[in-house]
Amino acid sequence: MRRRTAALALGTAAAMVLTGCSTMSPEASGTVTLNMVESLTNPTRTDLLKDLIADFEQQNPKIKVNLVSPPTEQADQKLQQMLQSGSGVDVLEVRDITVGPWSNNGWLYDMKKDLDGWKGWEAMTENAVNASKDAKGRTYFVPYGFYGLSLFYRKDLIKEAGFSKPPATWAELVEQASAVHDPAKRRYGYAFRGGANSNSNATAAIEAYLADQVDPANGFKLKSGRTIFSAPEAQDAMENYLELFKQASPKSSVSWGYPEMVEAFSNGSTAFLLQDPEVIATVSESKSISKGQWGTAPLVAGPGGKTVQPLATAGWGVAKGSGHKAEAVKLVEFLSQGEASTTFTKKNSLVPILKSATSDPFYRTGPWSSYVTMTEQPDTYLVVTQPRGVTWWAEWQQKADADVQKLILGKTTPKKLLAGWDAYWTEKWQQEQ
Amino acid sequence: MSVTSTSTAKTTGSGRGEASRKRGLPQGGGRRREFTTRRGLQIAAFMAPAAVFVAVFTYYPMIAGGQMAFRNWKLTDLTDTSWVGLKNFRDVFADPAWGTVLGNTAVWVVGSIVPQLVIGFALALWLRRRFRFRGLYQALIFFPWAISGFLIGILFRWLFNSEFGVVNDLLQKAGLIDEPIAWLADPKTAMVAVLIANIWYGVTFFAIMILAALQSIPDELYEAAALDGASKSRTLFQITIPYIRTTLALTVLLRVIWIFNFPDLIFGMTGGGPNNETHIVTTWMIKITQQGDYGRASALGLLVVAALLVFAVFFLMATREKKGVRS
Repeated sequence: MRRRTAALALGTAAAMVLTGCSTMSPEASGTVTLNMVESLTNPTRTDLLKDLIADFEQQNPKIKVNLVSPPTEQADQKLQQMLQSGSGVDVLEVRDITVGPWSNNGWLYDMKKDLDGWKGWEAMTENAVNASKDAKGRTYFVPYGFYGLSLFYRKDLIKEAGFSKPPATWAELVEQASAVHDPAKRRYGYAFRGGANSNSNATAAIEAYLADQVDPANGFKLKSGRTIFSAPEAQDAMENYLELFKQASPKSSVSWGYPEMVEAFSNGSTAFLLQDPEVIATVSESKSISKGQWGTAPLVAGPGGKTVQPLATAGWGVAKGSGHKAEAVKLVEFLSQGEASTTFTKKNSLVPILKSATSDPFYRTGPWSSYVTMTEQPDTYLVVTQPRGVTWWAEWQQKADADVQKLILGKTTPKKLLAGWDAYWTEKWQQEQ
Repeated sequence: MSVTSTSTAKTTGSGRGEASRKRGLPQGGGRRREFTTRRGLQIAAFMAPAAVFVAVFTYYPMIAGGQMAFRNWKLTDLTDTSWVGLKNFRDVFADPAWGTVLGNTAVWVVGSIVPQLVIGFALALWLRRRFRFRGLYQALIFFPWAISGFLIGILFRWLFNSEFGVVNDLLQKAGLIDEPIAWLADPKTAMVAVLIANIWYGVTFFAIMILAALQSIPDELYEAAALDGASKSRTLFQITIPYIRTTLALTVLLRVIWIFNFPDLIFGMTGGGPNNETHIVTTWMIKITQQGDYGRASALGLLVVAALLVFAVFFLMATREKKGVRS
């Protein structure tokens, strides 16, 4: 009896431990299950991805895809932890800001050889093809679209303030936003970004003031080889940017990030917003402002009438630890071409990766037309690549965001801030050599 | 010699058991079973799953975390995870924001605990009295405790919003301010706003604990005090507070530890901003973790554990009850 009890106990213990530790065995039928993890999650986008995955599964009956959608705020961190464990991820969302550290850690699979001869490349824009390769020609992800800044503005409010068209330059933006700004009426000029990722708009202003001098291959470098932060024009840009906060922005925008900025424009309290195209969908659904009340204009320019489009991108990649790389690459190919790609960029409001989009009426009308304008005038709206793939990008963002907040709180000056940024990048580039 | 052995067996449990076993008698008045190697193995086998889970999910992370504190462990670059000695600890102290974070933590703990204790005590005294709708009042007062700290943070973020917040609206209507105050955007007022939210949130806990303790005080003590003609304040300081002293001390100890480790509300309300002015040690630790620097975050975690252990020991020593005080 005792022996039986002991055997039962040991058996129970062993079963519990083993069930906890075992991994799923490959299905006998030969069906492969891919784990796909998205990063910029939201419910509508997840549903959209599920629909696209269903199409893929229909075309590839031997492949099943299990979509994992962690909340956006924790997604990159969760992905890092999953990648570090070395298993559990096959296909994943890779962003221009995560590709550097993740490939450096050996977590991403170079798809270059697998995608050699892939017909999808021919249908892609030059920007998309370039973004899919790193400095050494390796393909760690294929972009699904681009995020690029344009100016969201209130047609009715600027008309009331006496302006016939939206601002074309940063100086005009300060002028128009200040004219609209009236806190007593709870009406504000500009939805300032003072919180998370505030550095991105500050550098956009600096790059606009230096447009012709910026190195197209490195948006933080002048053609002379020095940093953009070292140029005297950078100080003018930051002085103007500071005025935009002082004269035309709500006080609480000192800590505003993406959600607060978009909310301020969508709820009708703020006249101007500098944001990515996915905001078009959000603002279109607003019940506070009607379709006729707002529009988008191309990204504002510097004193020279030119500006720099700091395009951000993200896409689909394959984990190095994946046991089903061929199937994973197949899924990446499916999502990056044809109907799947067009559907994803349209419904997710992204600058498309396919050449065919420029002739699509969807992009030529309404709020999207400003993006087409920018694409069609590459001499005015210069496309440069920011060094987002460097391993220290996250560190830079934290430092730069803190500095922007110090600036608008009056704890530092544009001159000191720029000197610090110049020293930071100069040192990093020297270390790199 | 034999006399000594017998007396030892009589005075110690093990000796008694040994003596019993020697006599072949069952232990525990015949109900306790003999402990054998086989029985030990059975017990170990039944405990094994729980032990494995505790080891994997509690002790392994603790040991791994402790180890990380002494290594270069950054998720953004795992190509070099070598041992770095005390570098992570030095980095914590060398951070320019460390002084602000430490000062904020002290303000956060003391500025929360003192008002929470005083208001919670007053509420508990009021709720101890019998009056109409007392149950309803109790339910309303205790309600905040059921809400998550992060949610409270978001709620107060809207209340203190400079453009649309109720706080500014009420102050303006009352004529106390001319223009809206940017509560959470101004470093001078952000910490005040966060403290107000936490005081509101934590008063409930003190009220619950103190009310429970107050209800254990025999009415006879108050009746005797009344007969002696003791004033209300004298009754409070000579009967009520001494009687519930242990509860008060433990509640304060628990709350200090909880408030020290309570980043939820700050994250929901200010995210530690503006310009790090509302970061406390634990929100700072989370921020470092989010940056992927697990080594420095682990070092900070070890410092937090050490600080709280030292505090708990000293607090308990300082507030322990001397024998016979209550009798």
